Amino acid sequence: MAGLSGSGNEGSRSQLLGAVGVVLLSLVTVYLPSAPQQAIAHVVRQSVLRPFTELHAFLAGMRARARDFEILRAQMDSAMGFVAAHATLAEENRQLREILLLGQRPSVRYLPTAIMRAGTSGTGSVFRVAAGTGQGVGPFNAVVTDLGLLGQVQQVQRDYALAIDWSHPEFRVSAMTSDGQNHGIIEPVRGRFREQDRLVLSGVDFLAELEPGTEVLTSGRGGAFPRGVRIGWVAGVAETLAGWSRSYYITPSVYPGAVTYAAITLPVAADSVDSATPEAPADAAAQGPP
Amino acid sequence: MTPRAAALVLGLVVAHLLLRVALGLGNGAPDFFLLAVLLGSRHMTPRSGAVLGFAVGLLEDAFSVSSFGATIFALTALGAAGAQSRYFFVGKSMSFLVSYLALGKWLRDLLSWLVSDPATRRAFGDYLLFESPLLALYTSVVGTVIALLVLKRSGRA
Repeated sequence: MAGLSGSGNEGSRSQLLGAVGVVLLSLVTVYLPSAPQQAIAHVVRQSVLRPFTELHAFLAGMRARARDFEILRAQMDSAMGFVAAHATLAEENRQLREILLLGQRPSVRYLPTAIMRAGTSGTGSVFRVAAGTGQGVGPFNAVVTDLGLLGQVQQVQRDYALAIDWSHPEFRVSAMTSDGQNHGIIEPVRGRFREQDRLVLSGVDFLAELEPGTEVLTSGRGGAFPRGVRIGWVAGVAETLAGWSRSYYITPSVYPGAVTYAAITLPVAADSVDSATPEAPADAAAQGPP
Repeated sequence: MTPRAAALVLGLVVAHLLLRVALGLGNGAPDFFLLAVLLGSRHMTPRSGAVLGFAVGLLEDAFSVSSFGATIFALTALGAAGAQSRYFFVGKSMSFLVSYLALGKWLRDLLSWLVSDPATRRAFGDYLLFESPLLALYTSVVGTVIALLVLKRSGRA
């Protein structure tokens, strides 16, 4: 056989067997349990790929620092206005809860983080956040922006984590309308050629007709997402199961491709000292509607 | 493998990581990983080609959450097949090079689609009958230009 030096047929057979062996080994990686897969990927990310992820983080930081000062000023003014307008809300809320004999609302801490998208194939709905177990991040923590819900953490390492945004096929979130009257589950529906990815709210009562523009928030059911984070707005009816339930298309409040910075929600245990301390103003700006 | 071919493979791998990971260009940047495997394996034995594909696929799948291993398998199989192809095709003509790279890209997408998680993979028609052929054309044009520029003296693409 041309191209192989020396031992002719025996050598070529050995080469072919070797190649088949490596191909079989590659097939094994597909069906490995999740934990070894994550361990292998982590080693690669922290070794060969690390200089490139560091470079990405550096460039993202440079771009953020070069952002128009006027835009940042306007965002800060809006945040200040929001905080000032809701200054007494927390106290009123506390008093009302006491009157109604309600317990403390579960407290949530927000951890700001930079976001990086790998750009490699098969990672279209996956992003890396620059915070991990060392900062208290755990699997299934929500990732939010000032506009609303972005996604959910999936795999966590010490210094970083991998998360999926709402366009990932495995993303699910329990949702409700802002008045708390209608509940359902939101999941993504992929459009043709990924150009029309959108969310669908399913399982809504058949008798409850939601008007377009109705705000939809996380309901907090299941505990993975904090209650009250904006997901989007009702765009129209997607499907009706006669007499049983309706599904609605939801216009998302956050477009994942445009996000470079976000915050991870970290649940704070109710009996901890932290839960009694007020949140910092910077955290409050990233919080959803009260 | 000639030093020129080795340098090409290394350069393509670094270019892919720079454009897609560091700069985050995604599909806007050509699939240099695939070109590294397809062009490099033509200068290797089947076993070495498979190992090259495995290593490059591992880099590509490092950020995958739900389909780890799909690209590793696809590129390993293509590395072995690419190396084996040199026993059947001399590969000096441009028409061969264009077809080889385009077919390689489409097969890479097909193989990774086949072993991906069915719950997360895209629709067959949209992805493999429309988007993938376009990307294959893009990849083959870029790959042909690179191969002609870098490997023209070595006598084998």
